Amino acid sequence: MISLVPSWAVYNEEFWETIKHRNLWFIKLRYGAVLMLFAFIVSSEFLLGIGFTQTQLVALTLINCSILVYNGILQWLRVYLKCEPFKFNPLHFSLVQMVLDLSALMLLVYFTGGIETPLFMLFVFHMIIGSLILPGTVIYTIAISVVFIFFGMVLGEYHNLISHHAVAGLLQTPLYNNFKFIVTYSIVFGFVILMSVVLANKIANQLYLMEQKLVESLEQLNAAEVEKQNYVIGVVHEIKTPLSAVNSYLDVILQGFLGPVNEKILAKLQRVRARSAEAIQLTNDVLKVSKLRLLDEIKKEEIKVRDILSSVLKKQRANFDRKKVKLHFKDNRKIRSKILGDKLLLEIAFSNLVSNALKYIEDEGVIEIILDEKEKGIQLEVCDNGIGIPEKDIEKIFDDFYRASNIRSKGYEGTGMGLSIIKHIVEKHNGTIEVQSPSRLASTNKPGASFIVFLPLE
Amino acid sequence: MAKIIIIDDDPDILDACSLVLNSKGHEVFTATNPEDGYRIVKNNLPDLIILDVMMNEPDDGFFLAQKFRRNKIAVPILMFSSVSQTVGMHFGINELVPVDDFVEKPISPSLLVEKVEHLLRLRRET
Repeated sequence: MISLVPSWAVYNEEFWETIKHRNLWFIKLRYGAVLMLFAFIVSSEFLLGIGFTQTQLVALTLINCSILVYNGILQWLRVYLKCEPFKFNPLHFSLVQMVLDLSALMLLVYFTGGIETPLFMLFVFHMIIGSLILPGTVIYTIAISVVFIFFGMVLGEYHNLISHHAVAGLLQTPLYNNFKFIVTYSIVFGFVILMSVVLANKIANQLYLMEQKLVESLEQLNAAEVEKQNYVIGVVHEIKTPLSAVNSYLDVILQGFLGPVNEKILAKLQRVRARSAEAIQLTNDVLKVSKLRLLDEIKKEEIKVRDILSSVLKKQRANFDRKKVKLHFKDNRKIRSKILGDKLLLEIAFSNLVSNALKYIEDEGVIEIILDEKEKGIQLEVCDNGIGIPEKDIEKIFDDFYRASNIRSKGYEGTGMGLSIIKHIVEKHNGTIEVQSPSRLASTNKPGASFIVFLPLE
Repeated sequence: MAKIIIIDDDPDILDACSLVLNSKGHEVFTATNPEDGYRIVKNNLPDLIILDVMMNEPDDGFFLAQKFRRNKIAVPILMFSSVSQTVGMHFGINELVPVDDFVEKPISPSLLVEKVEHLLRLRRET
């Protein structure tokens, strides 16, 4: 079996998908063509007063019916095709369609007057489509065959070797027996067909090459990203090791394993401990983000969002009590659909969202958590009346290491990675996250913020 | 009083942990690589092994733990890990890791003591 597949595309899934998609598209188009041909026969008879002979009507109807029949068979056959580069595959299927269409068109041209019919122009666009999908040698062969068969038909009619089927009322004088006319028209026709094939094929090849280059650079980019993340993980890990040792020694001192420590020194050591804990938190956050970026696919287990949320809220209960924050939790959904996702990751994301809301509440705090049904998904809103986010910072708060101006000036500690982690996790689930500040719980000096997460069902 | 062996490539971690466990009256041996660690465990038959998951190579600790188990050394193992809480490598009890518990780095002395006492108590009971 001849291979029609360009070498780069043999195992390229996207290439095969495109071909399959295009085959289906051709089949749909062909049903349209059948309708148009039918309309053409009817309208030329009744609107233009063009008279077809009995033979022509029978032939045209038969051609149209055959197109309909072979299109039905093609549509049925299409489903059973496998994308095996070296066996009968969707590309061979395209070639078969092409040959069938060209044969039908050639018959159509013959029965509507040969060189006298305008329908032979339709060959040009068939050739252009063919050049885009078939390799050069195959389409050149087809084009040359079409041109020669056309010449043969025209000459055959001229020499009365085959009968001419003129369309009555189209031309005032017959042209098929006018030698100068048929020679000039045939030459121009042949030239147009060959030129369109050559040009379209050249352009298609260039497009293929460009696509190939794009795929290559994309692969290089991905490889560079993986290398970068691995480098970051390596470096951060190397930093974390001595930091861990520092922290452990500090704990040995602070927890009294080396005996009593002077109170003044103890106070400062506690600061040192807090700052080194901050640095360790940062290394952990960076490791999390880097590993998230390296993650090609997340787990897809069935998840009840409400269960994860309940477990997060249970773990945070003490923090709510400590800050005297009121929690309102509403589940407005009628159907509690499950989503597919990674439980551990979503728990990290929800937990970060809730602790974020808690962290930036100063007094008389309220946090509202609302679950809602949306079209093809679930929406989770975490709304608070904390210190809010200044307008100028809103755009950047999901960036790595970004900390809003008000939390920096008020001396809140943090790494600026929390929201970035949440965003990564939500996006790994094909979801979205938005933020609004002031929130609807806003009051004087307490603008609050509201984070809205959307997670799709599939 | 129990005999405990700590295997970690960071001498400061060994020192800090020894300090803590000595102060609780345990006898502590240390090793900075899997080979020495294996030898010391073989020669001393401790009550507890504390093992870092990452030494010269990532997962060295795991392989060493597996080696102990394959050679019928059934001493409880407490593993130091710096990845247990990080995405992508979630060690769980159901994931056939032949260790009895984990402590995440940085190690908090009080937590270390708690976990060590717990594992020793379990060992005494059986």
